[in-house]
Order: sequence, then C-alpha cells, then structure tokens
Amino acid sequence: MENVATDESWRTSFSELAPGLLLFARQWVRSGADAEDIVQEAFVKFWRRNHNVNNRALLYATVRSIALDLIRRDSRRARREAEAYSDAEQAVEPKFEIADESQRLLGNAVDRLPREQSEVLVMKIWNDLTFAEIAETLGISQNTAASRYRYALAALKKDLLPQ
Amino acid sequence: MNDFSELENELKKLRPLSASPELFSRVEQGLTNVTSDDTLSGKVIRPERFRINWLSFGIALGAAAVLLIFARLDLNRSMKNVPVIASVTPAPRVANAMPANQFVPAGVSQIIYHSRDEGLIFPGESAQPVRRVRSQMRETSQWRNPATGASLRVSYPSEQVELIPVSGQ
Repeated sequence: MENVATDESWRTSFSELAPGLLLFARQWVRSGADAEDIVQEAFVKFWRRNHNVNNRALLYATVRSIALDLIRRDSRRARREAEAYSDAEQAVEPKFEIADESQRLLGNAVDRLPREQSEVLVMKIWNDLTFAEIAETLGISQNTAASRYRYALAALKKDLLPQ
Repeated sequence: MNDFSELENELKKLRPLSASPELFSRVEQGLTNVTSDDTLSGKVIRPERFRINWLSFGIALGAAAVLLIFARLDLNRSMKNVPVIASVTPAPRVANAMPANQFVPAGVSQIIYHSRDEGLIFPGESAQPVRRVRSQMRETSQWRNPATGASLRVSYPSEQVELIPVSGQ
C-alpha cells in the first residue's frame, strides 16, 4: 500500500495508531506534549517516505529513534528524564484513561517497569505487535522479546500482589 | 493460555490517552508542507554529483580568475624589465587593435561522453509523462592573449538533465 499525503487516508491510519504510538513515545519523555512532538515527527517522516503503514516495526522503530535522538540532543532533558525515572512515584501526567483505583495501581506498576520490559509490553499489549515485529523494532531476537514480555508480566504480578 | 492471561486482560482494559486534535492539525500541516515540497521539486531527486559539479564549476572559474590575475601581474613585471628599444619596424596591426596583456575568448567546446535514457517520469502532479535523458559532458573554454601568445584553458565536467515531452499518440 502506498501512502499518498494528499488524501485523507493518513487520518484513518493515524487515528488508529496515535494512542499506541503516544504511549510508546511516553516511555522516553514524561510529558504528553513531548510525546506528541515525537509522534508527529515520526509519523510525518514515515509517511513522507511512502513506507507501508502496515510495516509497524519500522514505524515504531522510527518513533523510538526520534525519541532517543531527542534525548541525546538535549542532555539537560536526559538528566531530567533520568531523575524522573529514578523516582517512579513522582507525579507525572497520566498515560492512561483511568476508570478506577485498580487501574490506577496497574498503570503505576507499568510505570515502574524497567524500560526494556515496558517497551516490549507497550508494543505487545497496546499496539498488538507480534514478537517478530517487536524484535525487528528493537533489534533483538524474538526469544529475547518474548522473555522480556514474560519478565514484565511477572514483575507486574509481583508488584500488584497484596502485601 | 498462560499464567498471565488474566493480567493481560486487565492490561488491555487500560486505554491509552487519545491524541489531541492539535496533534492531528500538526500532522496534517506537516504532511501538507511535505506535499508542496514534493510538488515543487517535481519528485525528481537531484543527484549529489550534479551539485558537486556546480561546485567544481565555481572552483574552476575561481582558479581561472586567479590565473588571469597572475598572468597579468607577470606580464606587467616583464614589460617593465624590458628596455625600450626604438624600432623602425611597424608593429603588427593585430597588436595595435588589441590591448596588450589581455586574454580574449578563443573557443568553447562541449563534448558529451555519456548519455542515458532514464525512462518516463511524471513530474509533479502532471499527468503528461516526460522522458528524462541525463547527459554527462565536459565543457572547455579557452582564452588567448594575442600579444604574448599565452593561452588559458579551463575544463570542467558537467551534467545535463533533459525532460522531453512524450506524446501518447
């Protein structure tokens, strides 16, 4: 499928993909505005190059690459993000539409996951990528992707167990 | 089913925040800019070497100018050192007609050494196809100083892209 910038097909694709892409981008930045900047740049770049929008591994790799570039470009931002990650309890803008207390706890537990686990979890759960696509996005083996996913679920389960 | 199926279901119930309408506008604007950029360039990517050739052309012209300046300086110096000798021989008519120490264009040549038909393309949003023919050539310009017989030659590679309209009839 060829992307044509002049038609409205991008709007349909973007409506479907945007929430998952934003969530994916939020792993590197703590504000929704920064995540939107990343997603905007990635999607425009992706569409401009006429990539097949079904090539989700490439799309997510583009988002990831732009997010990492953004952090590298701005060392102050990198320090700020690192500090934010070291204190996971620090209040940040929500990533999910929270309906009740259990969902809030679950969302917070996802925030506490190590980055390498959370990025696999986000791609698998909220973006429906296969392990093959995740592996391609991250440049790792499918087995590693599957392992990280299992570690993430195990960590969440342990985190959510009643003390 | 695995041990985590219940947890996976709970996670899937969590809904990520939607994109803001501003983000849609920004993406639309980005794509529109991209479209106009593409239209302006006719979706023909100019090869790097084409741009490099312009650079070479500039360098060649600069070098030619420097050579001309040095040539003039040398001639001035040598003219000063030559003692004035009275002569009964009339000076050649050509030398009188031309100012001394001045280079005049003596010729320009353009040799096409490679030409490639790159097929049909549709420039911009045009429905009319055109045939793109790319030619590599070497252009040589020559100047000559009639007074001294000195000559200067500048040669540089260049590339030309021709878009030839094609009729479907």
